[in-house]
Amino acid sequence: MLELKHISKWYNVGGKPTFILKDINLSIQPGEFVSIMGPSGSGKSTLLHIMGMLDDASEGEYYFMEQAVHTLKEKQRSHLYKQHIGFVFQAYHLIDELTVYENIETPLIYQNIKSSERKALVADILDRFNIVGKKDLFPTQLSGGQQQLVGIARALIAKPQLLLADEPTGNLNSKQGEEIMELFKQLNDDGVTIVQVTHSEKNAAYGSRIINLLDGRIEQ
Amino acid sequence: MIQNFLKVAWRNLIKNRTFSIINITGLAAGLACFILIALYVIDELSYDRFNEKADRIFRINADIRFGGADLKLATTSDPMGPTLKKDYPQVEEFVRFYTASGSKQVKKGDQYIVEADVMHADSTLFNVFTLPALHGDTRTALNEPNTVVITASTAKKYFATTDAVGKIIEADGTPYKVTAVIRDIPRNSHFKADFIFSMDNVHYDWGSYLSHNLQTYLLLKPGTDWKEFQKNFRQFIDKYVVAQARQFMDISNLDEFERAGNKLEYSLMPLTDIHLHSDRLSEMGVNGNIQYVYVFSAVALIVLLIACVNFMNLSTARSANRAREVGIRKVLGTARDSLIKQFLVESIVTSFIASIIAVGIAILLLPYFNSLANKDLTVGGLLDMRILPFLVLLPVIVGVMAGSYPALYLSSFKPIAVLKGKLSTGAKKSTVRNALVVFQFATCIFLVIGTIVVYNQLRYIQSKKLGFNKDQVLIIDDVGELGNNAAAFKNEILKLSGVSSGTLSPFLPVPSWRNDNTMSREPVLDPKSGMNMQTWTVDADYAQTLGLELVQGRFFSKDFPTDSAAVVINETTAAWVGSGNVIGKKIYNFESQDNTPIPLTIIGVVKNFHYESLKQQIGPLMMRLGKVTGMASFKVNTSNIQSLVKEVEKKWTAMAPGRPFRYRFMDESFNNMYNNEQRVGKIAFTFAVLAIIIACLGLFGLATYMAEQRTKEIGIRKVLGASVQGIVQLLSIDFLKLVAISFVFAAPAAWYFMKRWLQDFAYRINISWWVFAVAGVLAIVIALVTVSYQAIKAALANPVQSLRTE
Ligand SMILES: Nc1ncnc2c1ncn2[C@@H]1O[C@H](COP(=O)(O)OP(=O)(O)OP(=O)(O)O)[C@@H](O)[C@H]1O
Ligand SMILES: [Mg+2]
Repeated sequence: MLELKHISKWYNVGGKPTFILKDINLSIQPGEFVSIMGPSGSGKSTLLHIMGMLDDASEGEYYFMEQAVHTLKEKQRSHLYKQHIGFVFQAYHLIDELTVYENIETPLIYQNIKSSERKALVADILDRFNIVGKKDLFPTQLSGGQQQLVGIARALIAKPQLLLADEPTGNLNSKQGEEIMELFKQLNDDGVTIVQVTHSEKNAAYGSRIINLLDGRIEQ
Repeated sequence: MIQNFLKVAWRNLIKNRTFSIINITGLAAGLACFILIALYVIDELSYDRFNEKADRIFRINADIRFGGADLKLATTSDPMGPTLKKDYPQVEEFVRFYTASGSKQVKKGDQYIVEADVMHADSTLFNVFTLPALHGDTRTALNEPNTVVITASTAKKYFATTDAVGKIIEADGTPYKVTAVIRDIPRNSHFKADFIFSMDNVHYDWGSYLSHNLQTYLLLKPGTDWKEFQKNFRQFIDKYVVAQARQFMDISNLDEFERAGNKLEYSLMPLTDIHLHSDRLSEMGVNGNIQYVYVFSAVALIVLLIACVNFMNLSTARSANRAREVGIRKVLGTARDSLIKQFLVESIVTSFIASIIAVGIAILLLPYFNSLANKDLTVGGLLDMRILPFLVLLPVIVGVMAGSYPALYLSSFKPIAVLKGKLSTGAKKSTVRNALVVFQFATCIFLVIGTIVVYNQLRYIQSKKLGFNKDQVLIIDDVGELGNNAAAFKNEILKLSGVSSGTLSPFLPVPSWRNDNTMSREPVLDPKSGMNMQTWTVDADYAQTLGLELVQGRFFSKDFPTDSAAVVINETTAAWVGSGNVIGKKIYNFESQDNTPIPLTIIGVVKNFHYESLKQQIGPLMMRLGKVTGMASFKVNTSNIQSLVKEVEKKWTAMAPGRPFRYRFMDESFNNMYNNEQRVGKIAFTFAVLAIIIACLGLFGLATYMAEQRTKEIGIRKVLGASVQGIVQLLSIDFLKLVAISFVFAAPAAWYFMKRWLQDFAYRINISWWVFAVAGVLAIVIALVTVSYQAIKAALANPVQSLRTE
């Protein structure tokens, strides 16, 4: 599915580079369910952003479905991303001005999907996540767990092959967390590749592989 | 307490530097513009008010229609003033000016200087107008013939001292004794005069009630109702004017004259109205125009308002950022009115800083503004006691005006809502703010349309087929100086290479001499067959030199000795004479001693040409062959005009030694007729640009703010796959909608006002649709460029960075 070769990421702080990721080599096969763990500030989110093409690596090569992402232009990369990846944020990142329905619909609009088709797809996912009753509410009118659900629904609406989730259960109570993990498990069974960042051993256990990050390096 | 307000206000200004700069720049520009225009308006309104008896002084205007042509005169007949004083006790005094003889050549050493600001006046001048003397006694100064009163600067110019009483001045060959030196006539007087000569030296056919050649002013006794007094004029007309006309015309009274579709009407015009409300033939100088005062004032207020709108918009937009402060203050128990005060102090401080900068800008721009408005305003005018207090109050007024809405808006926040963060949505969608942006852009679009229409009309004037050819025509003034040598001079010039033809006539289709005369279609003169028309004396080469086109018959020719009793008329006159071929028909004038009709045979009809400004319809005109040599015009055809002019000057000095050589080009003279319109164009353009800049400044601030507010949303949308283009569109579309709405308001208003402006011109353009298209597109492009900088910046931002800041 994807392969990272010698990926590094640094920021220039006060004139000299501070490494956040150092020489990361990692490959993930289709159908895997990977959990990334590590202490706060170890670079988990950064790694996930690079996999999700939201951010560039400072150095190294990234292949996604046999394509050399690091050589692609912004436009092509965006196209690739739209087609294949769904992203769930730690802080939900819903658009406050849009309703639940519109939030979920947005990725489809950017993929130029016809209105009638969009309607069917959104209705489908609202149903599946059991949030039909909430579709006309605004994000501020939802609880944290409900917002996270909407965030996941939005990430899945375009039927991505790869789901990247940054602490999807971080703000939820354990029961809600469990429900989401069950959902992921089910998705993975349906063939979606999943990479999640988590602090919880229990949630990590849902995955088929665990990667530990420490100070920007993968611990073997 | 106030100290605390000031401290917080200052900190806020510093903290939000970008917004403060935008606010202050915009306000300063608006205020500078306001100050300049205030100076202008005050100056325009001050005309002639320096006269102590200004409220009792009136000029007599005459409105005459005889056979179609309407004449609006600033002059009246010479006996009218004295007769009114004799017959009506309400008239305390009268004074007449005579300026029809034009400029004079005044001798200084062995040089002659052409002095344009000269007039003859009755000795009563100084009883009516307030013109204090420095030397001599103005009460008796003009009692005798060959006397002259001069101004202080004229005295200095000719005698190097102001005390010139008793000295002799030679003007147009006549010696005059200086009997008094007066202070320079104030700039804001509707007449300018450096020399005031005795009326006794005017060569004039005195005593005719039918010729209107003198400006006449009445000083009415205190308490006289001037509107009531005007009603006596009909009685005056029947008693004197009609009585005199009866000598050669079949007429019994004014009513009969009017029934035939004619008009003779006298009216009084208050002295202080002359400068702004009078645009008649034979004015004492170029007057102002109340329209321009209105337009200028409106523009000043609008620009100031636009600047204030920026202020309000940015302050309310920023309110979300300040909401927390408000919330905390409220929770701490601050009363609402104290919050309002805090915000007002902030906006007053801002506008105070802006005012100081504005005064600086105004001083810097004054020279440019002077040339724009054709004025000599000085910075000293700002210290005028009528402006100064206002100038000090202005920052407070503007501060309150611009600050009150944000103050009320911000202080009304509910603390809980604010602290819960519910406010941001509301702050993003403010109807009031949108309305303000619409107002700004509507104004800009209005001004742009106005500018385009004015310039189009000016271009139309330039390119209009005038019926004569104004290009490459050199006009020599004062050819009358040459006396009998004028024809010889013309022949000499024609010998020069590059000169293809020439004509001797002071009657030209640009400002020059005019002469009107009453003609009749019948051998008798009565109100029905009479027609007042321009009567020009020309020579046989006139048509060729000016490129006039003949539609019937022929022009004058040296080969036809009988042409001295012939006339060439224009199409307007031809239509009055009769339809179809009018060659051979006769028209009559009554200028002979015994008023017997003199028949003149029509030998040609020239195509109508615009001998007056395009503001006027082409009136009736007839030309006669003769020798009136006030000016000479030459059609030239050379690439080196300057060297040709030098050669002409050489010939001139040889034939008229010591006499100043004055020349001009016909196309220049023509363009000068539209100086006022050109000025309106420049003003509209300048203020359109100014308004657009200020509005854009505001829009830029708003866009900055919006982009800032929507950083997170933009980040998410990018993550969800939005393209840069899509984001830019998203951010710009709201502003574009506002611009579109502005257009809907501005276009009809501009159409209506510009239509009215064009009414001034008898010959005018239609306002075509593309003018609106251009203005609309321009507004959209400008708004887009302004907004897109921020939009693109936001769209290009790394979404991960944007989202991290949450
Ligand atoms: N723009 C930046 N400039 C400097 N340092 C940065 C920047 N962005 C991220 N970092 C640093 O990179 C490190 C890794 O951040 P990252 O968000 O990937 O950590 P994380 O492992 O996801 O932590 P957490 O578990 O708290 O989410 C942090 O120490 C952070 O301070
Ligand atoms: Mg993280």
